[in-house]
Amino acid sequence: MSQAQAVPASALKQFWLKWRFHLNILLILIPLGFMPKYFADAKLFRGDAGLGANPISNIQVGPYSLDLAEVRDQPPRADGPAGYFKSFNAALCKACINEVKAVYLRIGKPRSLRAAGTIFFGAPYRMGTNLPIPLRTQPDAQIWITLEGWDGSMHQASVPLAKASPATVAWLEKQGGKP
Amino acid sequence: MAKSPKKSKSKLWFLVHSWLALPIWFFVLIVCFTGMLAVVSQEIVWLANPDVRASQPDDTAERLSFQQVLDALHQAEPDMAVRSLSQPDGAHFALNARVTLPDGTTPTLYVNPYTGAIQGKVPDFNFEAFTRALHGWWLVPFTNGYSWGWYLVSLLGLPMLASLVTGLVVYKKFWKGFFKPVRTGHGSRIFWGDLHRLAGVWSIWFIAVISVTGLWFLIQAILADNHITISSEPVVPVIAREQVPQSSDGGPAPRIDLDEAARIAGLAIPGLDISFVSLPATAYSHIDMGGRGWYPLMFQSAAVNPYTRNVDSQFLISDRSALEFVTESMRPLHTGDFGGLPIKLIWFFFGLVLTLMVMSGLLIWTKRTAQATAAALKRSERSPRTRARNTTVEIQP
Repeated sequence: MSQAQAVPASALKQFWLKWRFHLNILLILIPLGFMPKYFADAKLFRGDAGLGANPISNIQVGPYSLDLAEVRDQPPRADGPAGYFKSFNAALCKACINEVKAVYLRIGKPRSLRAAGTIFFGAPYRMGTNLPIPLRTQPDAQIWITLEGWDGSMHQASVPLAKASPATVAWLEKQGGKP
Repeated sequence: MAKSPKKSKSKLWFLVHSWLALPIWFFVLIVCFTGMLAVVSQEIVWLANPDVRASQPDDTAERLSFQQVLDALHQAEPDMAVRSLSQPDGAHFALNARVTLPDGTTPTLYVNPYTGAIQGKVPDFNFEAFTRALHGWWLVPFTNGYSWGWYLVSLLGLPMLASLVTGLVVYKKFWKGFFKPVRTGHGSRIFWGDLHRLAGVWSIWFIAVISVTGLWFLIQAILADNHITISSEPVVPVIAREQVPQSSDGGPAPRIDLDEAARIAGLAIPGLDISFVSLPATAYSHIDMGGRGWYPLMFQSAAVNPYTRNVDSQFLISDRSALEFVTESMRPLHTGDFGGLPIKLIWFFFGLVLTLMVMSGLLIWTKRTAQATAAALKRSERSPRTRARNTTVEIQP
């Protein structure tokens, strides 16, 4: 703050003296610049912007069907030591809401219901989950949807990861399977 | 000469104080101003929008229980899924119901607590959320951990604390300044100077609270971004598969209703105040409920298993560590939302005073410090030893 005294008379000092109050303008430009993004995000979180990016409609899973979309058309996000995650939304068909107990998502085919993957949270019209993306995931991997019925039944279907999240596949190819 | 080093030092402090916020004064001003607004944003919305008010239909009307509200919502909108119900702090506010509609939108509804009627929904421009986002993280989005806007704003705790300390150092006998009248008729420099000092001494506690709690937000972000946690809050495990009964008709297993869950939680935890209820988010999730504890800066919560009727998890004030008492108190101390309207109005008033202090500080600076700094620079170029004498800086007019 008292740089004016510390800095010797130089071009740098002149520059600081002349431009220091323009910092205010720079700082005010930050929220102005982010405002469209803020309102777009608010719209996204309200569900007014649809289910998400790259939606896949009417995926048939046994007798049921659902829509799946990634929340953002972006590569996975890091969450510290837990690794990388990708957020997905899903909506169950209106007729199957009463019969479906739970919906799970996983990269690669689950061997059992107990390893079906991450569970979707929220109302059946718009559920969300965070799918862990292991770094060794192959770009041609499938994501598997598992539906568990209240009657104890289990139904599965898969979609290519490249279709559900092209940005994730591009990111995986860039990573080359290495951390 | 014996006096001069001390005097010179206080002059230095004075210059530091004068320069602390200056190159970024407008940023500091807007952060103070939006913080002041954020404190009473809920009340502003209450004044502006009748939907937010909990109007009592007649004097005898009683508040509905959470299950009664839920039933009323289901009756009004049979296809709507209700995710949570919460009562804002203050009986004059309508209930907030977070819902999901069949078209996939997720509005928050204002619900009358006496009739269960849906009065409206949170508008697309959410004033409370916007002022808080602007004040809290300068609208910079959270993409990887905390937003850098959060760091930018919370870093202001440092110059703010420094202006408090340096302000007290340069204001000789500040403890005698509480009832000094503001002089008018001696020019605007004297007026703003008097006002700045008067506002300053009355705001000592507030500036200390806001800057320390603001710095806590900085520490909080650093801890979180480095994945360090000091929380003793239990991670509630999902309900075990075998505890969820299988139904014979293929429909959902029966769950207890919200009032029964509240009764069970109240029996297990005497004195549990319930102001929010979250309905199970999956077939393996609990009914989460809770509210303010006897120590009003902290909340207590319980997770009730809707199939077994057990309180599977709870987090009470007595479960907190001593460190958590300090750290968890920081946020409410910053926002002033722990004691209803009176505390909010006090925070609002001192927020306004703080905003005025940034303004008046700037006015004083433009009238005085610019010349003083120019003079000090000139002297230091001439001879650093004589800096103490010959000053044009008036510490006290």
